[in-house]
Amino acid sequence: MKKLVPLSILVTVALLGITSYFALLVAPTEATMGDVQRIFYYHVSSGWVGMLCFFVNFVASIVYLWKRSPGSDALAAASAEVGVVFTGVLLLLGMLWARPVWGIWWTWDARLTTTLVLWLIYVSYLVLRRFSAGGQTQVLAAAFAVFGFVDVPIVYMSIRWFRTQHPAPVIGGGENSGMAPGIAHVFILTLVAFTLLGAWFVWLRYKLATEEQALESAHAQAALKGVA
Amino acid sequence: MTSIMFLKVAYIVAWLIYLGYLARILLRMKAVESERAELERTSARNAAASPLTR
Repeated sequence: MKKLVPLSILVTVALLGITSYFALLVAPTEATMGDVQRIFYYHVSSGWVGMLCFFVNFVASIVYLWKRSPGSDALAAASAEVGVVFTGVLLLLGMLWARPVWGIWWTWDARLTTTLVLWLIYVSYLVLRRFSAGGQTQVLAAAFAVFGFVDVPIVYMSIRWFRTQHPAPVIGGGENSGMAPGIAHVFILTLVAFTLLGAWFVWLRYKLATEEQALESAHAQAALKGVA
Repeated sequence: MTSIMFLKVAYIVAWLIYLGYLARILLRMKAVESERAELERTSARNAAASPLTR
């Protein structure tokens, strides 16, 4: 295990370096959008990791409501925070792509709006965890997370259900969807590298959350003994 | 701003956010560790000074 940690860090950093090089310099230039299309690799990969984190948060919240285990609560908090960071990057990169391609930074179309709502739901979740007082914070947050996750499939399906300005799905979008092989290979590599990065962030944040829980209980014990 | 500039800004912004977030986690970890060590030191000192433990 001790050797696995530095090895997996090395693999993640190397993969991120390689994918960035391939995305910026090796992948073929898209015919209609030109070089700015290369934002797609980071944009979609960040979105994928964000949704994955919200799924982990959803499962961990259900486990917490069922078992009341502090570990599942720590995992729920960690995955929600990492999900907010990755979804924030998704939104920002989307805006930086939209300005040169559409001529506008933002439009209230179904995909963009549902994604912004999703981001706000999980920001509210983190605010609730941070500022709610009393012993029911974890239960409230877990219940909130279970309902909040409803927006994830809506975000995914929004470009299939509605006619949107956002590009049509390139994966699983029907007969005319798909990518050129050169673009698809770089995209898959970027997806793997970002998934590893997201997993690392969740693991680190989970460790921090468990250490904070331990510190909190140490403070409580010290207060009970009257030595704090 | 040209489209290449938007591409460069997008990649730089993404990495600034990810590295900034990583730095924030590591700094908070360090702060929690030092607070825990301080609490353990205080508890040990107070236990040694307490008449009940003498």
